[in-house]
Amino acid sequence: MNPLIFTTILMTVLLGTMIVMMSSHWLMIWIGFEMNLLAIIPILMKKYNPRTMEASTKYFLTQATASMLLMMAIIINLMHSGQWTITKVFNPTASIIMTSALAMKLGLTPFHFWVPEVTQGISLTSGLILLTWQKLAPMSILYQISPSINLNILLTMAVLSILVGGWGGLNQTQLRKIMAYSSIAHMGWMTAVLVYNPTLTMLNMLIYIMMTLTMFMLFIHSSSTTTLSLSHTWNKTPLITTLILITLLSMGGLPPLSGFMPKWMIIQELTKNSSIILPTLMAIMALLNLYFYMRLTYSTSLTMFPSTNNMKMKWQFETKRITLLPPLIVMSSLLLPLTPMLSILD
Amino acid sequence: MMTYIVFILSVIFVVSFVGFSSKPSPIYGGLVLIVSGGVGCGIIMNFGGSFLGLMVFLIYLGGMLVVFGYTTAMATEQYPEVWVSNTTVMGVFLLGLLMEVMLVLYVLKSEEVGVVFKFSGVGDWAIYDTGDSGVFSEEIMGVAALYSYGAWVVIVTGWSLLVGVLVILEVTRGG
Repeated sequence: MNPLIFTTILMTVLLGTMIVMMSSHWLMIWIGFEMNLLAIIPILMKKYNPRTMEASTKYFLTQATASMLLMMAIIINLMHSGQWTITKVFNPTASIIMTSALAMKLGLTPFHFWVPEVTQGISLTSGLILLTWQKLAPMSILYQISPSINLNILLTMAVLSILVGGWGGLNQTQLRKIMAYSSIAHMGWMTAVLVYNPTLTMLNMLIYIMMTLTMFMLFIHSSSTTTLSLSHTWNKTPLITTLILITLLSMGGLPPLSGFMPKWMIIQELTKNSSIILPTLMAIMALLNLYFYMRLTYSTSLTMFPSTNNMKMKWQFETKRITLLPPLIVMSSLLLPLTPMLSILD
Repeated sequence: MMTYIVFILSVIFVVSFVGFSSKPSPIYGGLVLIVSGGVGCGIIMNFGGSFLGLMVFLIYLGGMLVVFGYTTAMATEQYPEVWVSNTTVMGVFLLGLLMEVMLVLYVLKSEEVGVVFKFSGVGDWAIYDTGDSGVFSEEIMGVAALYSYGAWVVIVTGWSLLVGVLVILEVTRGG
Protein backbone atom coordinates (compact mmCIF):
# COMPACT_ATOMS: atom_id res chain seq x y z
CA MET A 1 0.00 0.00 0.00
CA ASN A 2 1.11 3.56 -0.66
CA PRO A 3 2.88 4.61 2.59
CA LEU A 4 1.08 7.93 2.79
CA ILE A 5 -2.35 6.33 2.46
CA PHE A 6 -1.38 3.63 4.94
CA THR A 7 -0.31 6.22 7.49
CA THR A 8 -3.53 8.19 6.97
CA ILE A 9 -5.68 5.11 7.44
CA LEU A 10 -3.72 3.99 10.52
CA MET A 11 -4.07 7.44 12.04
CA THR A 12 -7.81 7.29 11.35
CA VAL A 13 -8.05 4.05 13.30
CA LEU A 14 -6.35 5.83 16.20
CA LEU A 15 -8.60 8.86 15.77
CA GLY A 16 -11.72 6.70 15.80
CA THR A 17 -10.79 5.08 19.09
CA MET A 18 -9.80 8.43 20.58
CA ILE A 19 -13.17 9.92 19.59
CA VAL A 20 -14.96 7.01 21.26
CA MET A 21 -12.96 7.36 24.45
CA MET A 22 -13.16 11.16 24.68
CA SER A 23 -16.74 11.97 23.67
CA SER A 24 -19.63 12.71 25.97
CA HIS A 25 -22.31 12.68 23.27
CA TRP A 26 -23.65 9.29 22.25
CA LEU A 27 -23.78 10.21 18.56
CA MET A 28 -20.09 11.10 18.50
CA ILE A 29 -19.28 7.79 20.14
CA TRP A 30 -21.19 5.97 17.41
CA ILE A 31 -19.39 8.02 14.75
CA GLY A 32 -16.07 7.08 16.39
CA PHE A 33 -16.93 3.38 16.23
CA GLU A 34 -17.88 3.65 12.56
CA MET A 35 -14.71 5.56 11.70
CA ASN A 36 -12.66 2.90 13.48
CA LEU A 37 -14.43 0.09 11.61
CA LEU A 38 -14.16 1.76 8.22
CA ALA A 39 -10.46 2.48 8.54
CA ILE A 40 -9.38 -0.90 9.84
CA ILE A 41 -10.77 -2.79 6.83
CA PRO A 42 -7.81 -2.02 4.50
CA ILE A 43 -5.41 -2.80 7.35
CA LEU A 44 -6.98 -6.24 7.69
CA MET A 45 -6.70 -6.63 3.92
CA LYS A 46 -3.04 -5.69 3.68
CA LYS A 47 -2.17 -8.92 1.90
CA TYR A 48 -4.51 -9.29 -1.00
CA ASN A 49 -5.77 -12.90 -1.11
CA PRO A 50 -9.23 -14.51 -0.67
CA ARG A 51 -8.62 -15.40 2.99
CA THR A 52 -8.05 -11.82 4.07
CA MET A 53 -11.00 -10.61 2.03
CA GLU A 54 -13.25 -13.17 3.68
CA ALA A 55 -11.92 -12.30 7.13
CA SER A 56 -12.43 -8.57 6.52
CA THR A 57 -15.97 -9.17 5.29
CA LYS A 58 -16.83 -11.23 8.36
CA TYR A 59 -15.35 -8.57 10.65
CA PHE A 60 -17.23 -5.79 8.86
CA LEU A 61 -20.58 -7.59 8.99
CA THR A 62 -20.40 -8.42 12.71
CA GLN A 63 -19.15 -5.00 13.75
CA ALA A 64 -21.73 -3.21 11.58
CA THR A 65 -24.50 -5.26 13.20
CA ALA A 66 -23.11 -4.34 16.62
CA SER A 67 -23.09 -0.64 15.62
CA MET A 68 -26.71 -0.90 14.52
CA LEU A 69 -27.69 -2.39 17.88
CA LEU A 70 -25.71 0.33 19.63
CA MET A 71 -27.55 3.03 17.68
CA MET A 72 -30.89 1.46 18.58
CA ALA A 73 -29.94 1.42 22.26
CA ILE A 74 -28.82 5.06 22.01
CA ILE A 75 -32.15 6.09 20.52
CA ILE A 76 -34.16 4.16 23.11
CA ASN A 77 -32.07 5.90 25.78
CA LEU A 78 -32.83 9.24 24.09
CA MET A 79 -36.53 8.52 24.05
CA HIS A 80 -36.64 7.71 27.74
CA SER A 81 -34.27 10.36 29.06
CA GLY A 82 -34.41 13.16 26.51
CA GLN A 83 -30.69 13.79 26.45
CA TRP A 84 -27.58 12.50 24.82
CA THR A 85 -24.91 12.50 27.55
CA ILE A 86 -23.16 9.30 28.42
CA THR A 87 -23.55 9.26 32.18
CA LYS A 88 -26.16 6.65 32.82
CA VAL A 89 -28.40 4.51 30.66
CA PHE A 90 -31.91 5.31 31.77
CA ASN A 91 -33.82 2.31 30.53
CA PRO A 92 -33.19 -1.40 31.24
CA THR A 93 -34.00 -2.41 27.66
CA ALA A 94 -31.52 0.10 26.29
CA SER A 95 -28.92 -1.13 28.76
CA ILE A 96 -29.33 -4.76 27.73
CA ILE A 97 -29.19 -3.91 24.01
CA MET A 98 -26.13 -1.75 24.56
CA THR A 99 -24.36 -4.47 26.55
CA SER A 100 -25.09 -6.99 23.79
CA ALA A 101 -23.80 -4.60 21.13
CA LEU A 102 -20.56 -3.96 23.02
CA ALA A 103 -20.18 -7.69 23.69
CA MET A 104 -20.45 -8.29 19.95
CA LYS A 105 -17.70 -5.74 19.38
CA LEU A 106 -15.45 -7.31 22.00
CA GLY A 107 -16.02 -10.93 21.04
CA LEU A 108 -17.73 -12.17 24.20
CA THR A 109 -19.76 -15.35 24.13
CA PRO A 110 -22.31 -15.87 22.56
CA PHE A 111 -20.95 -13.46 19.95
CA HIS A 112 -17.46 -14.92 19.85
CA PHE A 113 -17.64 -16.90 16.62
CA TRP A 114 -16.02 -14.25 14.47
CA VAL A 115 -12.83 -13.90 16.55
CA PRO A 116 -10.94 -17.08 15.60
CA GLU A 117 -12.02 -16.95 11.97
CA VAL A 118 -11.09 -13.32 11.45
CA THR A 119 -7.81 -13.60 13.36
CA GLN A 120 -6.80 -16.65 11.35
CA GLY A 121 -7.46 -15.04 7.99
CA ILE A 122 -5.26 -11.98 8.42
CA SER A 123 -1.54 -11.40 8.82
CA LEU A 124 0.16 -11.45 12.23
CA THR A 125 0.55 -7.67 12.45
CA SER A 126 -3.08 -7.04 11.54
CA GLY A 127 -4.11 -9.68 14.05
CA LEU A 128 -2.09 -7.85 16.65
CA ILE A 129 -3.95 -4.59 16.01
CA LEU A 130 -7.27 -6.43 15.96
CA LEU A 131 -6.81 -8.17 19.29
CA THR A 132 -5.29 -5.28 21.24
CA TRP A 133 -6.21 -1.85 19.94
CA GLN A 134 -9.75 -2.71 18.85
CA LYS A 135 -10.66 -3.84 22.35
CA LEU A 136 -9.95 -0.43 23.87
CA ALA A 137 -12.94 1.44 22.49
CA PRO A 138 -15.77 -0.95 23.50
CA MET A 139 -14.18 -1.53 26.90
CA SER A 140 -14.05 2.20 27.54
CA ILE A 141 -17.78 2.49 26.85
CA LEU A 142 -18.52 -0.50 29.11
CA TYR A 143 -16.48 1.22 31.80
CA GLN A 144 -18.50 4.40 31.46
CA ILE A 145 -21.90 2.71 31.59
CA SER A 146 -20.87 0.13 34.21
CA PRO A 147 -23.31 1.32 36.93
CA SER A 148 -26.26 0.69 34.59
CA ILE A 149 -25.33 -2.74 33.27
CA ASN A 150 -27.58 -5.69 34.03
CA LEU A 151 -25.46 -7.92 36.25
CA ASN A 152 -26.98 -11.25 35.25
CA ILE A 153 -26.40 -10.80 31.54
CA LEU A 154 -22.86 -9.53 31.89
CA LEU A 155 -21.77 -12.23 34.33
CA THR A 156 -23.35 -14.96 32.19
CA MET A 157 -21.51 -13.68 29.14
CA ALA A 158 -18.26 -13.39 31.08
CA VAL A 159 -18.32 -16.90 32.55
CA LEU A 160 -19.35 -18.46 29.24
CA SER A 161 -16.54 -16.55 27.50
CA ILE A 162 -13.97 -17.92 29.92
CA LEU A 163 -15.31 -21.40 29.30
CA VAL A 164 -15.44 -21.04 25.53
CA GLY A 165 -12.06 -19.37 25.38
CA GLY A 166 -10.46 -22.18 27.32
CA TRP A 167 -12.35 -25.07 25.78
CA GLY A 168 -12.25 -23.85 22.19
CA GLY A 169 -8.51 -23.30 22.22
CA LEU A 170 -7.77 -26.88 23.19
CA ASN A 171 -7.96 -28.29 19.68
CA GLN A 172 -5.94 -25.61 17.93
CA THR A 173 -2.48 -25.76 16.44
CA GLN A 174 -2.61 -22.49 14.54
CA LEU A 175 -1.08 -19.78 16.68
CA ARG A 176 -3.46 -17.03 15.57
CA LYS A 177 -6.48 -19.07 16.57
CA ILE A 178 -4.85 -19.82 19.92
CA MET A 179 -4.36 -16.09 20.49
CA ALA A 180 -7.99 -15.45 19.45
CA TYR A 181 -9.37 -17.93 21.98
CA SER A 182 -7.00 -16.49 24.58
CA SER A 183 -8.48 -13.07 23.81
CA ILE A 184 -12.02 -14.38 24.29
CA ALA A 185 -11.10 -15.82 27.70
CA HIS A 186 -9.35 -12.64 28.84
CA MET A 187 -12.30 -10.51 27.79
CA GLY A 188 -14.42 -12.79 29.96
CA TRP A 189 -12.20 -12.12 32.98
CA MET A 190 -12.30 -8.39 32.31
CA THR A 191 -16.04 -8.12 32.09
CA ALA A 192 -16.64 -10.37 35.09
CA VAL A 193 -15.29 -7.76 37.50
CA LEU A 194 -16.63 -4.74 35.61
CA VAL A 195 -19.67 -4.24 37.80
CA TYR A 196 -17.77 -4.72 41.05
CA ASN A 197 -14.60 -2.73 40.50
CA PRO A 198 -14.03 -1.24 37.02
CA THR A 199 -10.46 -0.25 37.88
CA LEU A 200 -9.50 -3.92 37.86
CA THR A 201 -11.00 -4.21 34.38
CA MET A 202 -8.60 -1.51 33.24
CA LEU A 203 -5.70 -3.20 35.03
CA ASN A 204 -6.51 -6.51 33.36
CA MET A 205 -6.81 -4.75 29.98
CA LEU A 206 -3.39 -3.15 30.42
CA ILE A 207 -1.63 -6.35 31.38
CA TYR A 208 -3.48 -8.35 28.71
CA ILE A 209 -2.45 -5.86 26.01
CA MET A 210 1.18 -6.03 27.12
CA MET A 211 1.22 -9.83 27.12
CA THR A 212 -0.59 -10.16 23.79
CA LEU A 213 1.71 -7.55 22.24
CA THR A 214 4.72 -9.53 23.46
CA MET A 215 3.39 -12.84 22.19
CA PHE A 216 2.56 -11.49 18.75
CA MET A 217 5.94 -9.81 18.45
CA LEU A 218 7.70 -13.04 19.38
CA PHE A 219 5.66 -14.80 16.69
CA ILE A 220 6.48 -12.09 14.16
CA HIS A 221 10.15 -12.32 15.05
CA SER A 222 10.25 -16.03 14.37
CA SER A 223 7.80 -15.72 11.41
CA SER A 224 5.79 -18.62 12.75
CA THR A 225 2.04 -19.11 12.52
CA THR A 226 1.75 -22.78 13.49
CA THR A 227 2.86 -24.78 16.50
CA LEU A 228 5.17 -26.83 14.33
CA SER A 229 6.83 -23.74 12.95
CA LEU A 230 7.18 -22.27 16.44
CA SER A 231 8.86 -25.45 17.64
CA HIS A 232 11.83 -24.73 15.38
CA THR A 233 12.89 -21.54 17.11
CA TRP A 234 15.40 -23.41 19.28
CA ASN A 235 17.52 -23.72 16.21
CA LYS A 236 17.33 -20.08 15.19
CA THR A 237 17.21 -17.98 18.38
CA PRO A 238 17.34 -19.95 21.62
CA LEU A 239 16.80 -16.77 23.61
CA ILE A 240 13.43 -16.20 21.94
CA THR A 241 12.54 -19.76 22.85
CA THR A 242 13.09 -19.02 26.54
CA LEU A 243 11.14 -15.78 26.33
CA ILE A 244 8.23 -17.59 24.67
CA LEU A 245 8.17 -19.91 27.66
CA ILE A 246 8.10 -17.06 30.17
CA THR A 247 5.47 -15.00 28.32
CA LEU A 248 3.17 -17.96 27.74
CA LEU A 249 3.26 -18.92 31.40
CA SER A 250 2.53 -15.30 32.26
CA MET A 251 -0.50 -15.39 29.97
CA GLY A 252 -1.65 -18.52 31.75
CA GLY A 253 -1.74 -16.61 34.99
CA LEU A 254 1.00 -18.28 36.96
CA PRO A 255 2.73 -16.53 39.83
CA PRO A 256 5.37 -15.05 40.12
CA LEU A 257 4.78 -13.58 36.67
CA SER A 258 2.70 -10.48 35.89
CA GLY A 259 -0.20 -12.40 34.44
CA PHE A 260 -1.08 -13.54 37.93
CA MET A 261 -1.75 -10.00 39.13
CA PRO A 262 -5.09 -9.34 37.37
CA LYS A 263 -6.46 -12.80 38.14
CA TRP A 264 -5.50 -12.50 41.78
CA MET A 265 -7.03 -9.05 42.13
CA ILE A 266 -10.21 -10.10 40.32
CA ILE A 267 -10.71 -13.18 42.48
CA GLN A 268 -10.06 -11.11 45.59
CA GLU A 269 -12.57 -8.47 44.52
CA LEU A 270 -15.21 -11.04 43.70
CA THR A 271 -14.82 -12.82 47.03
CA LYS A 272 -14.99 -9.48 48.86
CA ASN A 273 -18.43 -9.10 47.27
CA SER A 274 -19.52 -12.47 48.69
CA SER A 275 -19.55 -14.50 45.51
CA ILE A 276 -17.57 -17.68 46.08
CA ILE A 277 -18.78 -20.11 43.43
CA LEU A 278 -18.18 -17.70 40.56
CA PRO A 279 -14.46 -17.03 41.09
CA THR A 280 -13.89 -20.72 41.84
CA LEU A 281 -15.45 -21.64 38.50
CA MET A 282 -13.49 -18.93 36.73
CA ALA A 283 -10.20 -20.07 38.24
CA ILE A 284 -10.89 -23.68 37.32
CA MET A 285 -11.78 -22.76 33.75
CA ALA A 286 -8.58 -20.73 33.45
CA LEU A 287 -6.79 -24.05 33.78
CA LEU A 288 -8.04 -24.96 30.30
CA ASN A 289 -6.24 -21.90 29.00
CA LEU A 290 -3.13 -22.84 30.89
CA TYR A 291 -3.22 -26.29 29.34
CA PHE A 292 -2.84 -25.17 25.78
CA TYR A 293 -0.25 -22.55 26.70
CA MET A 294 1.74 -25.29 28.39
CA ARG A 295 1.36 -27.49 25.34
CA LEU A 296 2.91 -24.67 23.28
CA THR A 297 5.79 -24.29 25.74
CA TYR A 298 6.30 -28.05 25.79
CA SER A 299 6.70 -28.26 22.04
CA THR A 300 8.70 -25.06 21.79
CA SER A 301 10.99 -24.59 24.77
CA LEU A 302 10.97 -27.74 26.84
CA THR A 303 11.55 -30.37 24.18
CA MET A 304 13.15 -30.56 20.78
CA PHE A 305 9.99 -31.34 18.87
CA PRO A 306 10.41 -34.11 16.29
CA SER A 307 10.79 -32.94 12.71
CA THR A 308 12.61 -33.99 9.61
CA ASN A 309 16.21 -32.90 9.29
CA ASN A 310 15.69 -30.47 6.45
CA MET A 311 13.03 -28.63 8.38
CA LYS A 312 15.34 -27.87 11.27
CA MET A 313 16.97 -24.95 9.52
CA LYS A 314 14.40 -22.17 9.48
CA TRP A 315 15.15 -19.66 6.79
CA GLN A 316 13.92 -16.12 6.35
CA PHE A 317 15.09 -13.09 4.46
CA GLU A 318 16.71 -11.13 7.26
CA THR A 319 16.31 -10.82 10.98
CA LYS A 320 13.31 -8.68 11.76
CA ARG A 321 13.99 -5.81 14.06
CA ILE A 322 11.14 -5.67 16.56
CA THR A 323 10.81 -2.35 18.33
CA LEU A 324 10.54 -2.38 22.11
CA LEU A 325 10.56 -6.13 22.45
CA PRO A 326 12.85 -6.29 25.52
CA PRO A 327 10.90 -3.74 27.59
CA LEU A 328 7.65 -5.49 26.68
CA ILE A 329 9.01 -8.84 27.75
CA VAL A 330 10.22 -7.41 31.03
CA MET A 331 6.88 -5.71 31.69
CA SER A 332 4.83 -8.76 30.81
CA SER A 333 6.70 -11.01 33.19
CA LEU A 334 8.15 -9.06 36.09
CA LEU A 335 5.42 -6.71 37.23
CA LEU A 336 3.98 -8.81 40.03
CA PRO A 337 6.04 -7.28 42.91
CA LEU A 338 4.49 -3.91 42.04
CA THR A 339 1.03 -5.06 43.10
CA PRO A 340 0.99 -3.00 46.35
CA MET A 341 1.20 0.06 44.16
CA LEU A 342 -2.38 -0.60 43.09
CA SER A 343 -3.50 0.94 46.37
CA ILE A 344 -2.83 4.36 44.89
CA LEU A 345 -5.77 3.86 42.48
CA ASP A 346 -8.75 5.60 44.14
CA MET B 1 -56.54 11.92 6.80
CA MET B 2 -54.22 14.84 7.16
CA THR B 3 -54.06 14.36 10.91
CA TYR B 4 -52.73 10.87 10.39
CA ILE B 5 -50.48 11.68 7.42
CA VAL B 6 -47.29 10.97 9.37
CA PHE B 7 -48.61 7.54 10.34
CA ILE B 8 -49.49 6.72 6.73
CA LEU B 9 -46.12 7.93 5.49
CA SER B 10 -44.35 5.87 8.17
CA VAL B 11 -46.20 2.75 7.05
CA ILE B 12 -45.19 3.35 3.42
CA PHE B 13 -41.63 3.97 4.66
CA VAL B 14 -41.50 0.60 6.44
CA VAL B 15 -43.08 -1.21 3.48
CA SER B 16 -40.48 0.17 1.08
CA PHE B 17 -37.73 -0.85 3.51
CA VAL B 18 -39.19 -4.36 3.49
CA GLY B 19 -39.13 -4.10 -0.30
CA PHE B 20 -35.40 -3.69 -0.54
CA SER B 21 -34.52 -5.81 2.49
CA SER B 22 -35.99 -8.83 0.74
CA LYS B 23 -33.07 -8.46 -1.62
CA PRO B 24 -34.15 -8.20 -5.21
CA SER B 25 -31.54 -7.05 -7.68
CA PRO B 26 -29.88 -3.73 -6.67
CA ILE B 27 -31.65 -1.86 -9.47
CA TYR B 28 -35.02 -2.64 -7.92
CA GLY B 29 -33.61 -1.90 -4.50
CA GLY B 30 -32.64 1.53 -5.77
CA LEU B 31 -36.15 2.02 -7.14
CA VAL B 32 -37.65 1.32 -3.75
CA LEU B 33 -35.05 3.55 -2.10
CA ILE B 34 -36.30 6.43 -4.21
CA VAL B 35 -39.81 5.85 -2.89
CA SER B 36 -38.57 5.58 0.69
CA GLY B 37 -36.46 8.71 0.28
CA GLY B 38 -39.42 10.66 -0.99
CA VAL B 39 -41.64 9.41 1.80
CA GLY B 40 -38.97 10.14 4.39
CA CYS B 41 -38.77 13.65 3.03
CA GLY B 42 -42.52 13.91 3.52
CA ILE B 43 -42.24 12.81 7.14
CA ILE B 44 -39.55 15.38 7.88
CA MET B 45 -41.51 18.11 6.16
CA ASN B 46 -44.54 17.40 8.28
CA PHE B 47 -42.47 18.22 11.35
CA GLY B 48 -41.54 21.58 9.86
CA GLY B 49 -38.21 20.67 8.39
CA SER B 50 -38.63 21.79 4.80
CA PHE B 51 -34.92 22.50 4.36
CA LEU B 52 -33.85 19.05 5.50
CA GLY B 53 -36.51 17.35 3.38
CA LEU B 54 -35.32 19.13 0.26
CA MET B 55 -31.77 18.22 1.29
CA VAL B 56 -32.82 14.54 1.25
CA PHE B 57 -34.17 14.91 -2.27
CA LEU B 58 -31.24 16.85 -3.57
CA ILE B 59 -28.22 15.16 -2.00
CA TYR B 60 -29.47 11.68 -1.19
CA LEU B 61 -31.75 10.99 -4.14
CA GLY B 62 -30.23 13.36 -6.64
CA GLY B 63 -26.60 12.75 -5.79
CA MET B 64 -25.86 9.49 -4.07
CA LEU B 65 -28.67 7.42 -5.52
CA VAL B 66 -27.96 8.63 -9.07
CA VAL B 67 -24.33 7.54 -8.76
CA PHE B 68 -25.49 4.25 -7.24
CA GLY B 69 -27.92 3.74 -10.12
CA TYR B 70 -25.23 4.38 -12.72
CA THR B 71 -22.75 1.96 -11.13
CA THR B 72 -25.44 -0.69 -10.70
CA ALA B 73 -26.49 -0.27 -14.33
CA MET B 74 -22.90 -0.88 -15.38
CA ALA B 75 -22.59 -4.00 -13.24
CA THR B 76 -26.03 -5.51 -13.69
CA GLU B 77 -26.82 -9.00 -14.95
CA GLN B 78 -28.96 -10.01 -17.89
CA TYR B 79 -32.05 -11.08 -15.94
CA PRO B 80 -32.11 -9.20 -12.65
CA GLU B 81 -34.21 -10.56 -9.84
CA VAL B 82 -37.57 -8.99 -9.14
CA TRP B 83 -39.74 -9.62 -6.13
CA VAL B 84 -41.87 -12.17 -8.00
CA SER B 85 -39.13 -14.01 -9.82
CA ASN B 86 -37.64 -15.87 -6.88
CA THR B 87 -39.68 -17.79 -4.31
CA THR B 88 -37.42 -16.77 -1.44
CA VAL B 89 -37.54 -13.08 -2.26
CA MET B 90 -41.29 -13.12 -2.67
CA GLY B 91 -41.70 -15.09 0.54
CA VAL B 92 -39.64 -12.65 2.56
CA PHE B 93 -41.41 -9.67 1.03
CA LEU B 94 -44.83 -11.09 1.81
CA LEU B 95 -43.73 -11.99 5.32
CA GLY B 96 -42.55 -8.46 5.95
CA LEU B 97 -45.77 -7.04 4.50
CA LEU B 98 -47.81 -9.36 6.70
CA MET B 99 -45.93 -8.29 9.82
CA GLU B 100 -46.39 -4.64 8.96
CA VAL B 101 -50.13 -5.10 8.31
CA MET B 102 -50.54 -6.91 11.62
CA LEU B 103 -48.65 -4.16 13.43
CA VAL B 104 -50.81 -1.48 11.82
CA LEU B 105 -53.99 -3.32 12.80
CA TYR B 106 -52.63 -3.70 16.35
CA VAL B 107 -51.95 0.03 16.57
CA LEU B 108 -55.31 0.95 15.07
CA LYS B 109 -57.41 -1.35 17.20
CA SER B 110 -55.89 -1.17 20.64
CA GLU B 111 -55.78 1.75 22.99
CA GLU B 112 -52.17 1.47 23.93
CA VAL B 113 -49.20 -0.25 22.34
CA GLY B 114 -46.42 -1.03 24.75
CA VAL B 115 -43.61 -2.92 23.01
CA VAL B 116 -40.54 -1.00 24.09
CA PHE B 117 -42.16 2.39 24.14
CA LYS B 118 -45.73 3.23 24.98
CA PHE B 119 -47.82 4.58 22.14
CA SER B 120 -51.36 5.53 22.98
CA GLY B 121 -53.07 4.86 19.66
CA VAL B 122 -52.67 6.53 16.31
CA GLY B 123 -53.01 9.95 17.86
CA ASP B 124 -49.39 9.81 18.98
CA TRP B 125 -48.29 10.40 15.41
CA ALA B 126 -50.41 13.51 14.91
CA ILE B 127 -48.39 16.67 15.04
CA TYR B 128 -49.08 19.28 17.64
CA ASP B 129 -47.43 22.61 17.85
CA THR B 130 -45.54 22.30 21.10
CA GLY B 131 -42.51 24.29 20.20
CA ASP B 132 -41.58 27.23 22.34
CA SER B 133 -39.05 28.45 19.85
CA GLY B 134 -41.30 31.29 18.89
CA VAL B 135 -41.01 32.51 15.34
CA PHE B 136 -37.82 30.59 14.54
CA SER B 137 -37.88 27.28 12.75
CA GLU B 138 -36.19 24.62 14.85
CA GLU B 139 -34.53 22.83 12.01
CA ILE B 140 -32.85 25.89 10.61
CA MET B 141 -31.60 26.63 14.13
CA GLY B 142 -30.24 23.08 14.19
CA VAL B 143 -28.41 23.56 10.91
CA ALA B 144 -27.00 26.85 12.14
CA ALA B 145 -25.89 25.20 15.38
CA LEU B 146 -24.12 22.48 13.37
CA TYR B 147 -21.87 25.06 11.78
CA SER B 148 -21.21 27.05 14.95
CA TYR B 149 -21.23 24.97 18.12
CA GLY B 150 -20.98 21.72 16.24
CA ALA B 151 -17.80 22.49 14.30
CA TRP B 152 -16.17 19.37 15.71
CA VAL B 153 -18.99 17.24 14.24
CA VAL B 154 -18.41 18.83 10.84
CA ILE B 155 -14.68 18.08 11.06
CA VAL B 156 -15.24 14.47 12.14
CA THR B 157 -17.88 13.72 9.51
CA GLY B 158 -15.85 15.42 6.79
CA TRP B 159 -12.80 13.39 7.74
CA SER B 160 -14.86 10.19 7.82
CA LEU B 161 -16.11 10.84 4.30
CA LEU B 162 -12.58 11.49 3.03
CA VAL B 163 -11.23 8.37 4.70
CA GLY B 164 -14.22 6.44 3.32
CA VAL B 165 -13.15 7.34 -0.19
CA LEU B 166 -9.52 6.41 0.55
CA VAL B 167 -10.57 3.06 2.06
CA ILE B 168 -12.78 2.19 -0.91
CA LEU B 169 -10.01 3.05 -3.35
CA GLU B 170 -7.54 0.92 -1.40
CA VAL B 171 -9.88 -2.04 -1.13
CA THR B 172 -10.86 -2.08 -4.80
CA ARG B 173 -7.34 -1.45 -6.02
CA GLY B 174 -6.11 -4.64 -4.39
CA GLY B 175 -2.49 -5.64 -4.21
